[in-house]
Amino acid sequence: MITVSGLTKRYGDRTVVDDVSFTLEPGTVTGFLGPNGAGKTTTMRMMTGLVPASAGSATVDGRPYGELPNPGAVVGTLLDASAVHPGRTGRTHLRLLAAALGVPAERAEEVLAQVGLADAARRRVGGYSLGMRQRLGIAGALLADPPVLVFDEPVNGLDPEGIRWMRDLLRGHAARGGTVLLSSHLLGEVEHTVDRLLVIGGGRVVADGSVASLLGPDGAVVRAGDTAALRAALEAAGFHVEPGDDGALVVPGARPGDIGAVAAAGGHVLLDLRPVQRGLEDLFFQLTWPEGTLS
Amino acid sequence: MTTVLTSPAPSLGSSVEARRTGPSLPTLVGLEMRKSLSHRSGRAFAASAALLGPVGVALAATDAEFGWAAGPIGIVGSMTGLVLLALGVISTAGEWTHRTVQTTFLLVPQRGRVLAAKTAAVAVLGATLAAVSAGSSLAVIAAVGVDDLNWDGTGQALVTAVGAGAAFAVIGAGAGAATANTPAALTSLYLLIMGVLPLVRIWNPDLAQWLDPAEATTVLAQGDAEARSIAVLAGWVVVASVAGWVLTSRRPVQ
Repeated sequence: MITVSGLTKRYGDRTVVDDVSFTLEPGTVTGFLGPNGAGKTTTMRMMTGLVPASAGSATVDGRPYGELPNPGAVVGTLLDASAVHPGRTGRTHLRLLAAALGVPAERAEEVLAQVGLADAARRRVGGYSLGMRQRLGIAGALLADPPVLVFDEPVNGLDPEGIRWMRDLLRGHAARGGTVLLSSHLLGEVEHTVDRLLVIGGGRVVADGSVASLLGPDGAVVRAGDTAALRAALEAAGFHVEPGDDGALVVPGARPGDIGAVAAAGGHVLLDLRPVQRGLEDLFFQLTWPEGTLS
Repeated sequence: MTTVLTSPAPSLGSSVEARRTGPSLPTLVGLEMRKSLSHRSGRAFAASAALLGPVGVALAATDAEFGWAAGPIGIVGSMTGLVLLALGVISTAGEWTHRTVQTTFLLVPQRGRVLAAKTAAVAVLGATLAAVSAGSSLAVIAAVGVDDLNWDGTGQALVTAVGAGAAFAVIGAGAGAATANTPAALTSLYLLIMGVLPLVRIWNPDLAQWLDPAEATTVLAQGDAEARSIAVLAGWVVVASVAGWVLTSRRPVQ
């Protein structure tokens, strides 16, 4: 289990990460969301000891990352896909990592095949595309098959097939009891991959919960043959009704079944009835951007 | 580019047996030696360091006669050392320039341990390459030198060349760790040793002989001013290594 407690990073008067706390449980994929500069990468770097924290702590199974005996075998990390020497081949890069981790050199071939880079193993990394570098970085993180994966923007540069593979990889890892922390600004991708969302804005955690709890139903939209009559019936039943697009009615807080019952009781003809779910994108902007900054 | 992607392994950690502890220091030293020679720039500097001496001696022989072996060996040791500076620089600063230091410190978070391994690795590489350079240079000198070649002091010249190879590589590693920038480290070192110190020598020779590591190598190889020369080389090693360690241990990996 990873425990982050009060993690703070200050550069002079500027606080880039402010009292961030969360825990990551085995068997879950946690999405770490936030706009550029929100503090995601700095938080991940503090968690792994690359950047010293101004305050707070981060532990993996009760120990700071730097005190783990062989940290790469516990936490597989991908923070920057371009952090590879361009003059080395993909295979050489992974074999050097394998030696540092203490896993057999043959493991490099296995992960190269796993990420789809077997044919590019003998090419220099300088000739790799961004997507290939991402996959090489993922291969490095998987070398020791660690129980924890910490990936910063791993789908950048991946093609649709690669994105789907990544989703299956992370879901499969969690299903095997692993712990995954995944940062991304590709909101749609995260929505389909994660169990839990951790939203950071301005260096602070602004939302932390399951996808379902953060994106729960927010009302219903209904379209009727006689809009005015249905609106009157709904208001008489105690619902607050707002006008929607193209003559539709928006009923915040109502379930479609509630509206269907009112319509049936009054003999109203319905043309359309569906739940309204707040999109992740809406939630994201609402939580991470101060009101009025988007126009 | 392959597009076939396979599924993840069936159960967590079942198929991979990783070492339970971090790498031992000898393992890390071996790893750092492999890293230094795992790309073309590292191999090019190593080959240059090994070949510069014998090629330079062979070229010099077309225009001069060698009557004393230790003299040219001292110059070879000094020149080879200057090339080995670069090998040391890229072993440390190169990691920051290419940002591979991130992976290095993720796998071995003890930065002092990593720097110690790098120092030992470049020292071994530097000494080995300097030995190859000095040995092959000596063979060339023996082949083209005068019939009654003076071999006095050859042993000390060879030992000096090998020691200086290790020292210059370590100085490069320390300066590279201190600057975290390959071009800045190389420019600073070469400007200082080949630009500023010769000027100091003109202005104040007594001061320069306590500062110039290249001159110290040449002089030591020829059996002169031994204590001072060793002190100069040791001073450079200590100052560069301490600066590299202090700055590396404090620098965030962005």
